[in-house]
Amino acid sequence: MSAIPELSPHIRRRLDHELRDLQVKIRSMGAASQSMFESSLHSIQSNTGFDEVIASDDVVDAYYMDIERQVLDVLALQSPMASDLRFLTALLHVSLHLERMADMSVNIVKIGSCVSHLPRNNSVMTTIMEMGSIALTMIEASMDAFANRDLDLSLRLPLMDDPVDRLNRGIIRDILPMANDMRLLEWGMQIHVVSRQIERVADHAVDIAEQTAFLITGEFREFTDASHPST
Amino acid sequence: MPPEAKTAQGSGSGSPSVVPTRLEIKRSPSDVPLSPPEDVPVFQVDDLSVYYGSFRAVRDVSMTVCERQITSLIGPSGCGKTTLLRCFNRMNDLVEIARVAGKILYHGVDLYHPDVNAVEVRRRIGMVFQKPNPFPKSIYDNITFGPKVAGIKGNMDEIVERSLRRAALWDEVKDRLKESAMGLSGGQQQRLCIARALAVDPEVILMDEPCSALDPIATGRIEDLMEEIKSEYTIIIVTHNMQQAARVSDMCAFFTAEVNETSDTRTGVLVEYDKTEKMFSNPSDERTENYVTGRFG
Repeated sequence: MSAIPELSPHIRRRLDHELRDLQVKIRSMGAASQSMFESSLHSIQSNTGFDEVIASDDVVDAYYMDIERQVLDVLALQSPMASDLRFLTALLHVSLHLERMADMSVNIVKIGSCVSHLPRNNSVMTTIMEMGSIALTMIEASMDAFANRDLDLSLRLPLMDDPVDRLNRGIIRDILPMANDMRLLEWGMQIHVVSRQIERVADHAVDIAEQTAFLITGEFREFTDASHPST
Repeated sequence: MPPEAKTAQGSGSGSPSVVPTRLEIKRSPSDVPLSPPEDVPVFQVDDLSVYYGSFRAVRDVSMTVCERQITSLIGPSGCGKTTLLRCFNRMNDLVEIARVAGKILYHGVDLYHPDVNAVEVRRRIGMVFQKPNPFPKSIYDNITFGPKVAGIKGNMDEIVERSLRRAALWDEVKDRLKESAMGLSGGQQQRLCIARALAVDPEVILMDEPCSALDPIATGRIEDLMEEIKSEYTIIIVTHNMQQAARVSDMCAFFTAEVNETSDTRTGVLVEYDKTEKMFSNPSDERTENYVTGRFG
């Protein structure tokens, strides 16, 4: 991961200190959430480590609570303006997206735990892992773009998201033929939910990229709009 | 379009003042529009520079100030905010070595045209200063002083009540109008100064750090008052308090000082002028960004 960019020196040392501290915290939270998601993929692949992933959600939740509290304190006490203000409001969004990603990792391992005794389809599993791999890359890219104020990188996130959406839509075609084998079908239906969770994780990464673009440009716009797909 | 210049009264027979009479600029409460004001220019500043002798204090300022809006001027010390503010009602005329280049149009009329009567300008464009400066007279006399000097005819009791009500001070002082203004608190004194400025029925109020000597409660009252009278007056405020500028103003101008290394002098320049929310959430110029966020440039 890239280093946190140096902020310009601040006349107000307390504010400067708080902003730098929050930069470090959101980076750490991003790494924790990303690591949790990676572990969840590994768990459903290997049928191991489910409880460890669930336990690690507390770490991400603690980051979320801590960042939100600190952002509110800075807003209340330091009267931040302009890019500092945008950074703080973006932090509230980004930390929530990371927290939701962690919840989805928990959902993935809970499903993994439920279906661990069932037969599985290797082809579908490969697709799931491919989606997970792209989503993992997206989390890292979105957090790099946020930390480094990289507008170009943030604008690439919707393109990275396209194959995840496509694979998610297509996976049902691989699951339907399992109808002859009830145990395999049960696995397939549960794994379809996992696919949906991974697709949502990727969407959250896109949302983080939207916040990055807002932080840099001062103008918020949704990269994609599900209700107006053509715009 | 600004109203057409009209011949003003009381400026002698030979060279009539070209300041428009403010009769056409509606004033009575019944004329106050219910809808938000349109952006009607009151002042158009064009390439304005101000010199004190050979020293140029402010250079090349161009901006438009609109009617019934609060416009704030912010920036570090020595950036020329107060110098510019004083140009809007020709207060710099009182400084012998001061000279203005460029133009300030007031409703399309050049404020510095030789035919324009500076006293009339100051009646229409009132000023409130940093420290409350009531006259050492009664509250009543403080209010009536301006109208009497300006030759305004009318019921002085009504003018006093109306002015004090507009300045949100009436209820606090109505039973002691004949008492000395010096007995009022700092915040009350400043509202009295605002009432005094309103008594001559100006169109514009210039405020030079009006709350810097007041506590937060008195400051809050003044800010509320500004918001209330904005529907009838155009206000330009110089403030060092950025939160105040953010809270009260519609438009905000950020000035900074350019340092001339050879002469060791500082000249004020207008960096950015935009809607206040834009200036404090997403300014266009890096110097504004650095100032409002508290960073070194």
